[in-house]
Amino acid sequence: MNKRTITASSFALALLSTVVLTSCSAETDTAASGDATGTLIVYTNSNSDGRGEWITEQASAAGLDIEIVGLGGADLANRIVAEKNNPVGDVVFGLNNMFFETLKAEEAVSAYTPAWSGEVDSTAGDAEDGVFWPLVEQAIVMAYDTNTVSAADAPTEIADLWDGDQYTGNYEVNTALGQATPQLVLAGLLAPYADEDGDLGISDDGWDQVQAYFGHGSPAVEGTDLYARLIRGEVDFGVIPSSGITSRDTEYGTVTGVISPEDGVPYVTEQIAVINGTPRQEQAEEFIDWFGSSDVQGQFAAKFAAYPVNTEARAQALPAVVELIESLPKQDIDWALTREHIGEWVEKTELEYLP
Amino acid sequence: MLRSPLVLIVALVTVWFIATFLIFPNATLLIGTFFPDGQLSFRAFEKLVSSERAMNSLWHSFLLAGTLAVTVNVVGIFIVLVTDYFAIRGARILWLGYATTLIYGGIVLAAGYNFIYGRYGFVTNAVGNWFPDIDRDWFSGYFAVVVVMTLATTTNHMLFLGSSLAKIDYQTIEAARNMGAGTLRILWRIVLPALRPMIFAVTVLTFLTGLGALTAPIVLGGTDFQTVAPMILTFSKSSSSQDLAALLAIILGLATIVLLAMMNRAEKSGVYFSVAKVATPLQKQKIPNRVTNGVVHVLAYALFVVYATPVLLIVLFSFLDSTAILRGMITWDALTLDNYATVFGTPSVLRPFIVSVVYSALASAIVVLGMLFVARVLQKYRNPVTGLLEYLLHIPWILPTILIALALVMTFDRPQALVGGQVLTGTTSLLLLAYIIVKIPFTLRLLKAAFASVPESLEDAARILGAGSMFTLRKVLFPLVIPTAAAITALNFNSLLDDYDAAVFLYHPLYQPLGIAIKASTEGENNLDSMSITFVYTVLLMIIMGLAMYLVYGRSGAATRRARRRASRN
Repeated sequence: MNKRTITASSFALALLSTVVLTSCSAETDTAASGDATGTLIVYTNSNSDGRGEWITEQASAAGLDIEIVGLGGADLANRIVAEKNNPVGDVVFGLNNMFFETLKAEEAVSAYTPAWSGEVDSTAGDAEDGVFWPLVEQAIVMAYDTNTVSAADAPTEIADLWDGDQYTGNYEVNTALGQATPQLVLAGLLAPYADEDGDLGISDDGWDQVQAYFGHGSPAVEGTDLYARLIRGEVDFGVIPSSGITSRDTEYGTVTGVISPEDGVPYVTEQIAVINGTPRQEQAEEFIDWFGSSDVQGQFAAKFAAYPVNTEARAQALPAVVELIESLPKQDIDWALTREHIGEWVEKTELEYLP
Repeated sequence: MLRSPLVLIVALVTVWFIATFLIFPNATLLIGTFFPDGQLSFRAFEKLVSSERAMNSLWHSFLLAGTLAVTVNVVGIFIVLVTDYFAIRGARILWLGYATTLIYGGIVLAAGYNFIYGRYGFVTNAVGNWFPDIDRDWFSGYFAVVVVMTLATTTNHMLFLGSSLAKIDYQTIEAARNMGAGTLRILWRIVLPALRPMIFAVTVLTFLTGLGALTAPIVLGGTDFQTVAPMILTFSKSSSSQDLAALLAIILGLATIVLLAMMNRAEKSGVYFSVAKVATPLQKQKIPNRVTNGVVHVLAYALFVVYATPVLLIVLFSFLDSTAILRGMITWDALTLDNYATVFGTPSVLRPFIVSVVYSALASAIVVLGMLFVARVLQKYRNPVTGLLEYLLHIPWILPTILIALALVMTFDRPQALVGGQVLTGTTSLLLLAYIIVKIPFTLRLLKAAFASVPESLEDAARILGAGSMFTLRKVLFPLVIPTAAAITALNFNSLLDDYDAAVFLYHPLYQPLGIAIKASTEGENNLDSMSITFVYTVLLMIIMGLAMYLVYGRSGAATRRARRRASRN
C-alpha cells in the first residue's frame, strides 16, 4: 500500500466518521429526552400571531422555563404519533378534539387531572378518561361582508349556497383537506347524515351534499386571504374560524355577517394534555395547571380574542367575541364517529369530489 | 477492483449507508403500509384506479413532465447559447437576469408570475384597460403552468450545461469551420452532441421536477389543470391514506427511474470525442447573418425581461403593505418598512437563519464529497453490482420527503445496531441525515455526468506517468469536475435553506430551522400580512443564496475569465 492510497483511504474513513460522529455527538444535546430537568418542550399549533412569544414570556414570569415548538395541526399530530416511542415534546396544546382523540387512541398522551378541572365543562374535553382538557372554543362559520350582501339577502341555511345555481362560484371552498379547518367543515357537512349502513358511515345523501358543496364552490386561492377575495368581489361567502373575524374587519373595513343555520355551526375545542412518556412529568403538570388557570386563560382571551372554556376566565374575554359565540348554536357532531372516519372521509372526498 | 483500498472503503461505506438509511427505514414503512395485516393489500391500487380525479391528476403530472422535458431543453439550451456560446451584447447582464431562478422558487415564484399575468395581475389589468372584453383568466391552466415552470427550471441548464460547454474542444469547432461548416451545422453536429451526457442528466431532472410540480399548478392551474403532488401531500399527512401517497409517489418515482435507465443506455452507446484535451478555451461565436443576429438579440432580451420582472416585483412587494398588494393598487403611500420591522422585531429572528445555514452547508458539503467518490467508482467500474447500487441510491426520488422523514423518525426511535446502538430520533443529527439522503440522487446524477465527460485518455496518461489512484483522482479528475461539484453544492445549499417537509418531523426543538420559522410567522388566523412577510423572507433568502452563488461562481467565473483573457492574449 503506497502513501497515496493510505491518504485516500483515510480520507474516505474521515468521511465515514463524519456521518457516525454526527450521530454520536448528538447524544450530548438530547435535551429533548432522557433527563428530568431542563427546558419544558411545549408542542402547539397555536403559536402564531404572537401567541407563542406571549406564552413563553408569561410562563417565564411565573417561573416556568419553556420552549414552544409550533407546527400546523395535522403535521404536529403526525409528529407526536411518530415520536411516541421516544417523545421529544412534553406537553401539547391547541390541537382540536379530533386530533386529540387520535393522540389518545395512539396512546401518545397520558391522563392528568388539572387543578382547574372544576372550572371547565368536562364534556368539552375527554369526559370519559380525562386524558385531555379543554382550553378555548371556536366556531367555524360561513362569513360574508354585510357591505356587499345585506343580512336580509344572505341565505339562512349554509346548504342554500349549493342548492340550485344561484350562488354557484360565489362561495369559497378550501380544498386543502390536509388542514384542520377544511376537515372540520367536512365533518360538519356530513354530521347530519350519519348512517351505519352508508358508505364510511354516511348515507348517500350526505355524499351528495359534499359533491354539491365542492362542485358549486370557488376553490380557495393559495396565498390569497378569503377577505381579499370578498372585497374585490371574487366571492361573497367563505368559511373562517370565528377568532379571525375581528382583526379582518379592522384590516379590510368589512362588517362581517355570519350565516347562522338552525342546526348550528361546527364548534371546535382546543385541548391540552401531557405527552405520554415525558421525563418531565412534574413540570408538564405544573405548566398545565398554570396555563389553564382562569387568570392566565382570561388574559389570553383578552389579548387574542379567544373564547375560553374556563367559565371564570370568560369574564375577561372581549364582549364582541362572547356575543358572537353565544349567538351561534352548536351543531351536534358525533366526534367519536368523526375521529374514526375522518381519514377515510378526507380520502374519499379528495379522490372523488374535489374540483 | 476490490484490490484498491479506496474502492473497497467507498463500496463498504456506500453499502452500509444504503442499507441503513435508504432501504431499512423506507422498507419498514412501505411494508407497514402495503402489508397491513401481513397480507398484500391492493386497496390503494383499487382506490386510485377507480378515482377519475386521481387518474386525471396523474395524467396531468406526466403531461407536464413530458412537456417540460422539451420546453425546458429548448429555453435552457437557448439561454446557455446566448450567454456562453454566441457573441451577444450584454451577455453578462443577460446571465444575471436568467440566473434569478437560482435564488428563488416555490410559492413565491408562482405568486410572482401570478401578480403580473394572473387575473388581477398588472399585465392583465393594463390590457384590460384597453380591451375590457379580454378573458381575465387567460393566464391559467396547462399553458400558464408550463410557461412558469419552463422559465423556473432552466437553472440546471444554466449551471451544468454552461460548464460542459466551456469544456468543449475549441479546435474541433475551428477545424469544422475551416472545412466550410456553417454556424448551425457546427452547433448541430459538434456542440450539441458533445453536451449530450449533461443534456440527458438535466432532462431527467426536469422530468422529475415536472412530475413533482406542486406550487405552480396550485396557484396557476385552476380547476382544469391540477397535478398529483398536492394529492400526495394531503394523503401522506393522514395515517389511513399513507398507502395512497406512497403508491402515487412510487408511480412517479418509477417513471423517473425508467427514464433514467433509458438515458443511461443512450449515454453508454454514445462516444464523446469533442471534450477538450488541450486547453484552447472556447471563443464566442459571432452570428454571421444580420437578421438572425437581430432576432436572437431581441429574443434574448425579451426573455431577460420576463425573467427579471417577478424578482423586481417581489423586492418591491416586500416594501408594500399587504392590502395594497392584494388590491393590486400600488401607490407611494403604500410603501412601508413595516414588513421588515415585523420580521426583525421577532425575538431571536436570526437564529433560524444560522441553524439553516449550518445544516444546509454541512449537508450539501457532505453529500457532494461523498458522492464524488461514489460517482467515480460507479463510473469506472461498471458491473451488475455497481449498477444495482446506483439504482438503490435513487430511492429518495421514489418517495416524497415527508414519508422519508416519517420513516426515519419511526425507525431510529429505538437503539439500532446499524448505527452502533444509537437512538437518533430527537437528536440534531437526524435532520442532517435526512438532508443528506434527499440530496443524494440529484448530486449523484450530475456528478456522474460530469465524470462521464472526462476523457479516459487523461487518466491513462496519469497512470502511465506513474500516478497512484488517489493522486490521479485528486490532481487530474477532481479539478475537472470541481466546477460542477461546486455548482451542485451551491444548489443543494440553496434548496435546503428553506426546507419545510423534512424539518417538520425531524427538527430538534431547540434548533428551529428557517422553513419552520417562516411557516410559523406567515401562518395564523389573524396574520393578514402573511404574503408580505413571505416576501421579506424571500428577499432575505435571495441575499443569502445570491451570496452562496457568488462564492461559487463570482470567483470561479472570474478565474475562467482571466484564463480566457490570458489565452486570447497569447
